[in-house]
Amino acid sequence: MNKLAGKVQSYTVIRVPGNAHAEAAPFVLLLVELDDGRRVLGHFSGREPPAIDTRVIAIPSPQTPVFTRAEDVS
Amino acid sequence: MTRNVHIAGVASTNFGTLPGRSLQSLAAEAGRAALADARIPPAKIGCLFVGNFVGGIMTGQELLGPIVAADLALANVAAIKIEAACASSSAAVRLGYDLIRAGAEQAVLVIGVERLTGGPRSALTTAMTAAIDQDTEGRAGLTFPGFWGLVMARHAHLYGTTREQVAAVTVKNRKFGAANPLAQFRKTVTLEDVTSSPLIADPIRRLDCCPATDGAAAVVLAAETLVRSCGSPSVRVAASVLVNGPARACDYAEITTHDGTVTAARRAYKAAGVAPEDIDVVELHDCFSIAEIVDSEDLGFFAKGEGGPGVLQAGANRKTVINPSGGLLSKGHPTGATGCGQIYEVAMQLRGRHPNQVEGARLGLTHNGGGTAAAVTVHILESVAR
Repeated sequence: MNKLAGKVQSYTVIRVPGNAHAEAAPFVLLLVELDDGRRVLGHFSGREPPAIDTRVIAIPSPQTPVFTRAEDVS
Repeated sequence: MTRNVHIAGVASTNFGTLPGRSLQSLAAEAGRAALADARIPPAKIGCLFVGNFVGGIMTGQELLGPIVAADLALANVAAIKIEAACASSSAAVRLGYDLIRAGAEQAVLVIGVERLTGGPRSALTTAMTAAIDQDTEGRAGLTFPGFWGLVMARHAHLYGTTREQVAAVTVKNRKFGAANPLAQFRKTVTLEDVTSSPLIADPIRRLDCCPATDGAAAVVLAAETLVRSCGSPSVRVAASVLVNGPARACDYAEITTHDGTVTAARRAYKAAGVAPEDIDVVELHDCFSIAEIVDSEDLGFFAKGEGGPGVLQAGANRKTVINPSGGLLSKGHPTGATGCGQIYEVAMQLRGRHPNQVEGARLGLTHNGGGTAAAVTVHILESVAR
């Protein structure tokens, strides 16, 4: 399966979530520009957000993708 | 042939925590006061539009149009609720403006109303996120502080906007709010207060966020001929624009430039025949402190990336005064009422009766955004020589 690969455009850490995500907080949300030009919102495998422009990858999923630093898996 | 449209009368309740007040009672209070201010007989009102965002979710009350019309003794009028998230009532003003301009109505009453306090914070956050696409970004857990956290982190990355510059927006607007008797927050804060407040959605902190607010505001729109015959204390609507912008964070080509605001402003300036530097006073949508910086750039008051340093010029060498009401950060943000509340504030400036009066104000602008700046209005108002 092709992985989702791209660069972090921006990040936030959700500390006050809606009811549906209450148990997951705090969690990192990334805005990622994929190599094919699409942009997606995804979660991040770490607790601290990566810097903007960091390369990240994720396994495609019908759920929200979870990104990891590309350097950590290559 | 199109007709000139005026804001014939305005009114606003206090904004804040208003326990025991229903949507209906707040809306009727504002509507009744605006009609009295306009000096226009209620029989001239052809439509009542009630701008409201989450009344159904937060209070269980719907069908606000006919209920509020009945409370105001308005009979046989078109009375409906208009929803465009936080831009609900300003979107309703645009619809009323179109009806009068086209000659279909002589006068339209627009009331914005919301009740957001009294419930748990998680319920409020859930209600607000109803304006995020639940198929995609809502499922990922995005909130509005989260959206603006994404914007703030990237604005700092691209333009070097500092934590202190963003915090200075809150400090400035709290100072303005301290002198506004309608404002929810009337105490000043320091830069340190803002930068040491708890994180909500990094890098957004609590004092970067507008509060949850109850309140209502109302606007009577009328044709110029009616305004003159009734002696209304009116201001002219020089431009009324409503456009859609990207409805998802991922739809933005660049999340620090809000296309809906850029387009709405461009159209409004063209319709009014003015430029940003002609505007004396602005009430813009500072739902978060970084939003004032982004909006002030997208409305043309600063070049992109210069809004941060621009905050520190406030009251010094900048002609256009931004958010002298205290803005959403200090006057408060009763979402569905905010658009009418901004028009109230600018109308009072142009009538020379504002507690933070901008001397000689002749042209004013309001900017109101719903969702991820997905529904955007810009109104330009002009004082009328008397």
